[in-house]
Amino acid sequence: MGSVPLAHYLALGSALFAVGFAALLVRRNALVVFMGVELMLNAANMTFLAFSRAHQTMSGQAAAFFVIAVAAAEAAVGLAIMIALVRNRNTLNVDEVDTLKY
Amino acid sequence: MTEAMLFYPMALVAIGGALGMIASRNPVHGAMYLVLSFFGIASVYVLLAAELIAVLQIIVYAGAIMVLFVFVIMLLNLNEDDLERPRLTPGTIFGGAAALAFWMISFMVFSDLPDQTMPTELPEGFGQVASVGRLIFGPFIVPFESTSILLLVAMVGAIVVAKPRI
Amino acid sequence: MEWLSAMNPAEGLQDALRWIVLFPLFGAAVNGLLGKRLGRANVHLVACGAVFASFVISAIALYTVSFGDVSRITDQWWRWFSIGNVPVEMSLTIDRLSAVMMCVVTGVGFLIHIFSTEYMSHDEGYWRYFAYLNLFVAAMSLLVLGSNLLVMFVGWEGVGLASYLLIGFWYTDDAKAFAGRKAFVVNRVGDFGFLLGIFTLVGLFGTIEFEQLKALSASITPDTVLEAGIFSGWTLGAAITMACLFLFLGATGKSAQLPLYVWLPDAMAGPTPVSALIHAATMVTAGVYMVARLSFLYAWSPTAMATVAVVGALTAIFAALMAYAQNDIKKVLAYSTVSQLGFMFIGVGVGAWWAAIYHLVTHAFFKACLFLGSGSVMHAMRDETDIRLFGGLRKEMWHTWATFGISTIAITGVLPLSGFFSKDAILHGAHANPNLFFPWVPTFTYAIGLVAAFSTSFYMWRMFNLTFHGERRGMLEHRAHEGGNAMVGPLWVLAGLAVGSLVWGLPLSGGARFENFLKPVFRAADENIARMTALGAQKLGVPVPPPPAHDFAAMLPGYLIALVVALIGFGIAWYLYLGPGKDIPAKIAQGAPALYRAFANKFYVDEFYQAVIVAPLSATARFLWRVVDAFAIDKLVVNGSAVLTGWIAQLFRYFQDGNVQRYAVVMAVSAVVILWIFLG
Repeated sequence: MGSVPLAHYLALGSALFAVGFAALLVRRNALVVFMGVELMLNAANMTFLAFSRAHQTMSGQAAAFFVIAVAAAEAAVGLAIMIALVRNRNTLNVDEVDTLKY
Repeated sequence: MTEAMLFYPMALVAIGGALGMIASRNPVHGAMYLVLSFFGIASVYVLLAAELIAVLQIIVYAGAIMVLFVFVIMLLNLNEDDLERPRLTPGTIFGGAAALAFWMISFMVFSDLPDQTMPTELPEGFGQVASVGRLIFGPFIVPFESTSILLLVAMVGAIVVAKPRI
Repeated sequence: MEWLSAMNPAEGLQDALRWIVLFPLFGAAVNGLLGKRLGRANVHLVACGAVFASFVISAIALYTVSFGDVSRITDQWWRWFSIGNVPVEMSLTIDRLSAVMMCVVTGVGFLIHIFSTEYMSHDEGYWRYFAYLNLFVAAMSLLVLGSNLLVMFVGWEGVGLASYLLIGFWYTDDAKAFAGRKAFVVNRVGDFGFLLGIFTLVGLFGTIEFEQLKALSASITPDTVLEAGIFSGWTLGAAITMACLFLFLGATGKSAQLPLYVWLPDAMAGPTPVSALIHAATMVTAGVYMVARLSFLYAWSPTAMATVAVVGALTAIFAALMAYAQNDIKKVLAYSTVSQLGFMFIGVGVGAWWAAIYHLVTHAFFKACLFLGSGSVMHAMRDETDIRLFGGLRKEMWHTWATFGISTIAITGVLPLSGFFSKDAILHGAHANPNLFFPWVPTFTYAIGLVAAFSTSFYMWRMFNLTFHGERRGMLEHRAHEGGNAMVGPLWVLAGLAVGSLVWGLPLSGGARFENFLKPVFRAADENIARMTALGAQKLGVPVPPPPAHDFAAMLPGYLIALVVALIGFGIAWYLYLGPGKDIPAKIAQGAPALYRAFANKFYVDEFYQAVIVAPLSATARFLWRVVDAFAIDKLVVNGSAVLTGWIAQLFRYFQDGNVQRYAVVMAVSAVVILWIFLG
């Protein structure tokens, strides 16, 4: 029997998610915000794998596989957008990028 | 026993790296902290008998995505002035409190789940490359092919968006 | 003549009846749509030809029902719709009564069309005029030929429409357009009554077909108490009375009786041939025709008949008094028409059905002749209508003088012309036919009728003298000349008919020829009157009165009195306007100025209606428009909802501020809420 209960693995996942969400909300630098998003994805992966072992099924690991692939694609495009943002606005501060408002 | 001895330190490393990422002013420092966090996470993956995923985490996430992050940070050539000053605004406190509250509530929810013990007797080849491969080329073939198209699209999109002149 | 009856035109006629309506209808369509391009001659041909075709069919039909072996021809055109189990057919019936009416409508209509070809020759909108005129003939035919109340009502409304269009023919003049509107609106009030009458009859009898109503009316017991429907608790007799009164309200509107006569004098704003056709000969007689058609129903309601007779009498005298002080040649004739229609209603109100219809026919002839004659005078005097400016026209317009004179003799009831016989037949019926429940009605209507007859004689001869005799008083440099053949011809034909129609009314000992001619039509009504009289005698405990005497000797005194009255009127008019008393009228006017003004202003009835009815309605309409429509609905609701949407949108804008992190928070919160709801 494993000595670490399932709850602890899930707690680790939710802690990572919370930290990632905090990074999303609190930081002003767009790159750090984006890193928070990546952290949240990892937290989701953690949860997938924890349940995958708990239920002894491989589907969770397949899901995690796809999450990693999608995260990679998303990171590429997101960073490209940030490059374009700096080129046009000359700033990475999310507070200053608000022209899409009323 | 060994599992617990490995899990809690590695969990601390993961969370510590994450907190370091959120607290550091310099985004390069933040990226490094995040890489540290990924290493911790990968170790936990191994404990969860997801060896392929752990390795992929290192190779793809820490090795490719974070490198990409660092490339972009370097490319953007941020000065000292561009970095933020740490502020303790109501937004910060709100964010921190919200995250803490979220974590505590979710921990309480998780503790109520039945069947908390993790099995140690796992099927043959659980978490190995072959098992994952059988899944993604079998029942999950459609997501697999879609993901490949997605990667192609992302590649083209990234090039188009980042080019100075189209 | 056997070969004619062997042909059995009745069968061929059955499908031909609809053409009486369709020919003028198509004529109206052709002239209305293409008239401008067809040219004057073609428009005249289409219009007059259509009416003439209808006249031919009507004449053949009249011949068939008079001398053939059928008394009624029915053209079942098509089934219009059915409500519940009451089917409504569009079907046309012609019997002796409607055949006579149709011949009058199409015949006089044809003559007036001919007259109009010359009278309206200077007008730009002549094609429109003839289209409307044909439309009128079509609608009037529908009214007369209808087999049931609904088809009659369609025609009723149609003639109202045609009247409106024709009165306001010169619509660019506001006053004329308002006159047309007034006619239509006042008619509408009457139509409301007509509709209520139709609804009542459907509720009581379950049918609107005349023949079925006639059959059912033979077995009416007026004392049965109704159990169901809106009249539950009433007796059948009372409900029938209500229905008859409602229908009579419609008749007062269309036939210009009190209190809805006010549109007719204003209707003189239209072209004179229109006044001749619509407001003298045909449309205004629709009310009389309707009451005559439903005579079998009115027979069961002495109250309704008394109402009809009294209203007719009061209208007759009231209008005649108004005509005393009028100086417009058409207005005198208009009030005269109202007065003569009052006579006709006296006729139907006392049960002298045939007399009323006979007067209708003779009146059509001589009144149309009078109106066309006045049109001829106006045409010659550059559309002037004030008779104070006329005088001595006899020398310049002999034909008009002669025909006008003949018609005046006819209308005033002087021997030996037809008006005498028709008017006196009514007056005889008035004092001879009893009304058990209202025993004062015969004497009342007879007395009023005599006074009205005197007035008719007086004001008609006054107008005739002022217009044609004496010396010219105004427009002295203008030389009046007679119209062409198209105008003079119809005048002579109508004058001849006014003379010739006397033969039908000669009081012979078997009854007048017209009376016997129409007896089969009114047999049901006469029988119902007899039944009602017997019932009434039983109730009131009086003996059944004997039927009125019909022999010549009994009728002679009445006829002589009427003749004397008419001659007195003639004499006074001659004395005051041609004879030695020329200055007396002026002295009377100066001596009693208030009274004279009352007469001249038509007793202020129009002003009264304006103040009591029109002004409040107009104010209500203005209120509804300004306050309810413009303010409440437009500003508050329509604009208000737009403004409200704007305000709400303004509030929601704060969610879209470009701040990505706020978006993320919103998303997270929403996700939590949704999960909370779905996961319990």
